[in-house]
Amino acid sequence: MKAIRIIGKRLLLIPISVFALVTLCFALVQIIPGDPAITVAGSYASPQEIARVRTELGLDRPWHERYLAYVGGLLQGDLGRSLFTGRPITSELARRVPATLQLITLALLVSWILGLSLGVAGAYFRGSWPDRVTRGMITVLQSVPDFLLSLLLIFVLYFMWQLAPAPVGQLGLSSFTPGPTGFLLIDTLLRGDMATFLQALHHLMLPVLSLGIVYSAYLGRVGRSSMTKAMQSRQVEFARACGLPEWRVVQYAFLEARAPILTYTAILFGALVGGASITETIFAWQGVGQWGLESILKVDIPVIQGVILVSGMVSILVYLFLDVLVMLLDPRVRYE
Amino acid sequence: MSERVLTQPGRRRSSAMPAIVRENAPVVLGLAFIVLFLAASFFAPLPYGPTTPDPLATSQPPSALHWFGTDANGFDVFSRTIAAAQRDIPLALAGTLASLVLGIVFGLLVSTKSRWSERAIRGLDVFQAFPLVIIGTAIVTLTGNRLESVVLAIVLLNVPRFMRLIRSEALALRESRFIEAARALGASPLRILWRHILPNVMGITLAQSSIAAAHSIIVIAALSFLGVGVSPPDPSWGLMIQEGARQMIVGDWWIVVFPGFAVLVTVAAFNLVADGLQAAADASQ
Repeated sequence: MKAIRIIGKRLLLIPISVFALVTLCFALVQIIPGDPAITVAGSYASPQEIARVRTELGLDRPWHERYLAYVGGLLQGDLGRSLFTGRPITSELARRVPATLQLITLALLVSWILGLSLGVAGAYFRGSWPDRVTRGMITVLQSVPDFLLSLLLIFVLYFMWQLAPAPVGQLGLSSFTPGPTGFLLIDTLLRGDMATFLQALHHLMLPVLSLGIVYSAYLGRVGRSSMTKAMQSRQVEFARACGLPEWRVVQYAFLEARAPILTYTAILFGALVGGASITETIFAWQGVGQWGLESILKVDIPVIQGVILVSGMVSILVYLFLDVLVMLLDPRVRYE
Repeated sequence: MSERVLTQPGRRRSSAMPAIVRENAPVVLGLAFIVLFLAASFFAPLPYGPTTPDPLATSQPPSALHWFGTDANGFDVFSRTIAAAQRDIPLALAGTLASLVLGIVFGLLVSTKSRWSERAIRGLDVFQAFPLVIIGTAIVTLTGNRLESVVLAIVLLNVPRFMRLIRSEALALRESRFIEAARALGASPLRILWRHILPNVMGITLAQSSIAAAHSIIVIAALSFLGVGVSPPDPSWGLMIQEGARQMIVGDWWIVVFPGFAVLVTVAAFNLVADGLQAAADASQ
């Protein structure tokens, strides 16, 4: 009962967060110094061009009117149109969001496996040589920018060993049209198209590896510190005193250490929606982050707002999911 | 006990410097590397001009003439990798310093258990939920692609981290006896913050600032990789990596690898300093 009340309270926070998010997206246009219409249209634009952009952005109306129009549009699922292609942002997002989510979910899976193995091993053998080795590896991984690793992997796995396909997007040349979910891996399986499924998986290999390896450093660090704490706890002492086998002891310690690890995973997931942008650009992934970057460089304001809105929404939902999950896993939170 | 008191000063006097170096080897090593790299970028004689291309020697692999090879425009990769430190490291340090100062001020301000400081932290949560690479790029692009904007982006990315760290440390300190004693003696809240809390969070804050510097190097590289905040042909590691990115699929690895390695080593050096400072802060607690 109490759990339901806490979840209810947590759900009440959602509208507030969404309101803050929407307001911030709206405010983005206001922070541009000078006349946004000129910034958007470029300094060589004709007066007519600038006037067109001004009406398109609604800059000829007072801000409260614009804000109401913006929120009204959002409520009807209308995110506006790109200033450059004129295409509606919603339909473009429907194509790009699954591409990004698929990529970062798999990348986080790789980080989990790699990072937590490093972290748990480091915590278990604290102070001896496996700890030093894993700590060194984490420090090195932490120092590698993701785009550098992407390029190195392209060189080694594509150019030298030809194990991976060229960085040409999710499928490269293919006649496959995504649908109904937009997630390529799911769509191909649903339609029983194994060849395209494998092709999609093959194209995922390099971006997933580079993001997964880089972000495993963070999970390794969190895993190490929370596991270290758990290994020194009373339960572990008690489990050992009971004569349980070591793998069981580690398992119990991991159960205790999982809350911060889950929290960190959620934060990474939220951050990666936009944070995978450079990797997406390198692999021509056509995801949300890449679109965000492209539109920023072109000052395509409605698109920037759309991208920030979507990644903010993903963060909000992931944090909600996380809070509920942590509460279900940890009875102490329920009875606080 | 008495033995320790007797022996310690003697040991300290006999080998003061080496002891400091020995105990803080990571800090000294990391700092030495950064200072040397910075000095080299400003004063070392470079074999070629970092901004003068040689159109007759484009995309050359590393050789005795061009140690790190040349890029597609005929720039010498070695000279540019060294010269880029001139811009990238000071920029990261400037950003970190600004974040440190602002982070300490705002961090101390929110380091109370009051209702509004809770709210400020919730506000930070919302802010940090945003895609920070995109925000950083947006800030720099929309405010006119200048170096100051890069510093501003770094500050916005790092100040929340400092605030959180200082707040969590300070909240723990507030429970301790000496704060209680200070309050009992009638010290004002401001005095408690300045004279009692600040000195005690300084160690861990310095460790965090070295992490922030490492992070800034990566952010600067990422921004200039995207062509944001740079003015070609002035060298910058991110820009060089971006220029070499297209060559990577045809196998010209050196254009990317050497500046990439410079980023990696610099970041590792800052992380090393951070590790050492962190260990020192832990030990003093």
